Amino acid sequence: MTLNRRRFLQSSLAGAAAAACWLKVPGLARAKGSEELIRMSERPLNYESVRSTFTTRITPVGRFYLRNHFDIPKVDIATWRLKVRGLAEKPLSLSLADLERMPQAKVEAVLQCAGNGRGLFTPQVPGVQWRFGAMGNAEWTGVRLKDVLALAGPKQDAAFVQLQGAEKPAMSATPKFIRAIPLAKAIHPDTLLALKMNGKPLALNRGSPARLVLPGWVGDDWVRALVDVEIRSDEPKTFYYDTAYRFPVAPGAPGAAIPADQMKPMTTINVKSLLGSLKDGDVLPPGVHPLAGVAFSGEAGIDRVELSFDAGKSWTAADLDGPATPYGFRVFRHAWKAEPGSYEVACRATDSNGATQPETPVWNPGGYLFNAFDRVKVEVRS
Amino acid sequence: MTRPIVTAALLFGAAAWAADKPTALDERTKALVEGQLPDDPARPLVQGKCMLCHTGEYLTQQRLTEGQWQKTVEKMRKFGTPATDEEAKTIVGYLARNWTPDLPPPRLVRAPLPRGSIPGK
Repeated sequence: MTLNRRRFLQSSLAGAAAAACWLKVPGLARAKGSEELIRMSERPLNYESVRSTFTTRITPVGRFYLRNHFDIPKVDIATWRLKVRGLAEKPLSLSLADLERMPQAKVEAVLQCAGNGRGLFTPQVPGVQWRFGAMGNAEWTGVRLKDVLALAGPKQDAAFVQLQGAEKPAMSATPKFIRAIPLAKAIHPDTLLALKMNGKPLALNRGSPARLVLPGWVGDDWVRALVDVEIRSDEPKTFYYDTAYRFPVAPGAPGAAIPADQMKPMTTINVKSLLGSLKDGDVLPPGVHPLAGVAFSGEAGIDRVELSFDAGKSWTAADLDGPATPYGFRVFRHAWKAEPGSYEVACRATDSNGATQPETPVWNPGGYLFNAFDRVKVEVRS
Repeated sequence: MTRPIVTAALLFGAAAWAADKPTALDERTKALVEGQLPDDPARPLVQGKCMLCHTGEYLTQQRLTEGQWQKTVEKMRKFGTPATDEEAKTIVGYLARNWTPDLPPPRLVRAPLPRGSIPGK
């Protein structure tokens, strides 16, 4: 009938370990600054964060990017229900109050749009031309998805969990935004049905009243205003799962078509870093400048961040704040003794699995998972 | 006497061409980079069809080949955009003439947070 006991025991222990790790982390620094974003499109709402946002570990909600395929759904919280159905012993219809009564868990994790950096690929590919700001790190609080699934009792052949939010396309012919994740990720103790972001209830545009949080995984599965969970034995044949959001199994030549059977759904975020305290075109006086930025990598912590001031010819290790967190931003810092001249400042991170950001990203037709090292051109002069 | 006049005329002509050409190109490029839809018989069609579901930035930030525009418009028709074959051809032509791979990147602007992005606001 349901998930076996060992699986649940393992996931519960892992959850306790993750919670303990989270509790050890010192006070969370929060970025200050105006509540502004960079508009990519007004309808649907697509806004990226300003580069200067990325100097602190937690991204404030007011500076956190927005990504939508469709218009924001008008959800009436009083009547909202989450249905859990499919291969379930006991199908469910849960209200927000039902979820609030369940044990609440907390996890800090980066939410990053799979297309963050799409606008930096050559040759260019269609889609929202995100540059660097379709990412952010937040504290998410809510119910473990595994607890919800346990109430429903997945049947023996359950293998995938299909997810659908309240959003609807403007045209009836447009495919609905339906995603799916393997059951193993759904029952991971850090996978949440979040009700809060940075300690406050989710705002309308953030997926109120409940959204998926899949720590370490790209944002396409972090379905907002979740209304339908279908436990399945197979993967759905829907556009946003079967065709879109797929990445090549092996890199191909930039610009070359890749056969559909050589594409697979994305899962974990790849290693990445971004300089938050400099931007292209900055003119700085000679002297010491404190630089800061953030680094992160899917389900691995950040081990090292290096900076280059000569377009990648030589590298200097940056200082890292605090202990590595499994899924969050790690802030890096460096006191740069800047002498007059023109500079291309670059940063690159290495994660605990030894993966390092490449100089050139893996080109792909969807423009996903850009993680070439970050570069900023600045002038130093009196 | 004739020679200086011809030379002056040539110089004037060259200067006018030099002044005219780059300026005209810069104005057009500037407008495209800023996200404007150039005046064109196809513009009302694009506004009427493409903007049923999204605002203009969705297309003005793209820098695509004609083949990529063709595929994009076909995808949108499958998604429900009510355009005939002839209208689709006109739309593709307009997009491919303007938002080309060699166009400079779009000028993106900062904007206040849309309503509903922060609890209670």
